Amino acid sequence: MRQNRKWQSLKYLLLSIAALASLIPVYWMLTISLKTDADQLASPPQWFAFTPTAEHYRDAFVTRSFGSYLITSTIVATLSTLCAVVIGTLAAYALTRFQMPVKANRRLSLWILSTRMFPPIVTIVPLFLMMRDLRLINTIPALVIVYTAFNLPFVVWMMRGFFNEIPREMEEAAFVDGDSRLGALRRIVLPLVTPGLAATAVFCLIICWNEFLFASVLTQTEAAMTLPIGIAGRVTQYEIKWGVMSAAGVVAMLPILIFALSVQRYLVRGLSLGAVKG
Amino acid sequence: MQSPLSVRQRFFSRFSNRRDTALSYLLVAPTIFVLLALSIYPLIFAIKTSFQTGTADSLQWSLANFTRLFTDQFFFAALGHTFVYAAVALTLEFLLGLGLALLLNSAIRGRSLFRALMLVPMMLPPVVVGVVWRLMYNTDFGAINGTLKMIGVNTENFIWTASPQIALLCAVVVDVWQWTPFVFLVLLAGLQAIPQEPYEAARIDGSSPWQTFRYITLPLLKPAILIALLLRTMDLLRVFDQIYILTEGGPGFATETVSLYIYRTAFRFFDFGYAAAMSFVLLLLTNIISAFYIRILQREEEAR
Repeated sequence: MRQNRKWQSLKYLLLSIAALASLIPVYWMLTISLKTDADQLASPPQWFAFTPTAEHYRDAFVTRSFGSYLITSTIVATLSTLCAVVIGTLAAYALTRFQMPVKANRRLSLWILSTRMFPPIVTIVPLFLMMRDLRLINTIPALVIVYTAFNLPFVVWMMRGFFNEIPREMEEAAFVDGDSRLGALRRIVLPLVTPGLAATAVFCLIICWNEFLFASVLTQTEAAMTLPIGIAGRVTQYEIKWGVMSAAGVVAMLPILIFALSVQRYLVRGLSLGAVKG
Repeated sequence: MQSPLSVRQRFFSRFSNRRDTALSYLLVAPTIFVLLALSIYPLIFAIKTSFQTGTADSLQWSLANFTRLFTDQFFFAALGHTFVYAAVALTLEFLLGLGLALLLNSAIRGRSLFRALMLVPMMLPPVVVGVVWRLMYNTDFGAINGTLKMIGVNTENFIWTASPQIALLCAVVVDVWQWTPFVFLVLLAGLQAIPQEPYEAARIDGSSPWQTFRYITLPLLKPAILIALLLRTMDLLRVFDQIYILTEGGPGFATETVSLYIYRTAFRFFDFGYAAAMSFVLLLLTNIISAFYIRILQREEEAR
């Protein structure tokens, strides 16, 4: 019994260390964003005892154009999520509910998944050239289009899983009531998959919001930059304004943390493309 | 009066009639179109580009981009960095993730709180992760050197990401920090799906905790382990964002991974053909490695 209690305390100790290790670096960024330039350089480092200032936030979002990056990010993430979810959900429904000839359902699903598997760096040059020919470089549509394609396989696989969990009998009952295919989808199936649909959409938002590689190639002007590109552009300059960077980092991170909390239940599933049901 | 069976049959025919087939194609078509235009076409285009040299006006078919690969020491260095990075990070993430999952797979108080806190790093934008760790490693006001100084360590020579010898390791630490939670989460889900019966049988047979772990937990956890490792490996081989922000591949070439080198070749030197050839190799390697995992996974499923 005594040994058991010792083991229990050791467990808590290890878990606390892991939790702290996860949080301390993020907290450090938060403090830097709230410290004056002089306080940032204080030695020994000040974790708690400093007078917080909002000057870096003001500097980033009022004086500099981080506010504009924030708006671009929001528009791009929302539009591309909307497109991917609508297109992908319809495909997922068809793939789970209809018998296609020669096992086309399974083959199509695997093909769709495989497009998500190759490294994005492979297609970046062709996509850049395509967008240049279409004169879409440095525009919001370019990112919306690319992110829609990037998220589609994810949406199809997630929604396939959610549709498969709904018994077909429910739709058959709707047909008895005289519903058409699409009527049954709208009236019976969609309400049942709404939680899954919402979780899928949130994952798409997170992926778009965080995306860096495509955005860095497709948007180079202030007006079209997303938040990650704005931050990265400042980090790699010679004289770095650490307070401004940190403030922008905190703002970029907050919506994601809220989103992530809201989909905790589906986190494993979303992160493994539906391969593991948590 | 119709029998229930015939009702069912009528609906079954409704499931597979011709109008439904047409509708199903209509519903799948947009997805297929988007993927063909924005994934498959670019992929084919990239492969085509890799077999071409010369400027836009006078393109020639040749293997020059591929033969150049074999004599490019930078490419091999980048490949080496990528593999070292992937191997070390994967090992650490797996061991730590498994440990944490086992710790949390028991009835303890505050379990969901611990779980939620540990997930924070994984959700952060990679760019923010880069900023966070530049602030940690910074030699002037970084939290690491600052804390070491406080406890009396001479930190003059601790330059972390600025040191060619350990910069890659510093990048690995960042990856482990961010992605261990993912491995942990998948393995925890796997652990919770294991039924209780084999454990009870083992307890009755008086097996030791190690034996229980080795002969019950590990085999039953294998599918989850494989999926976690597969997804991590794919991501590690293509790593770009965090390293780009953390070190930009430097100092010198010390942390340049294949993705970074491709990016630089394409968008700094505008050598699209050579960049395409390198991405072709990366694609091939990724495919071979993932095929290997998927094969084990399939064998595992058949054995069930």
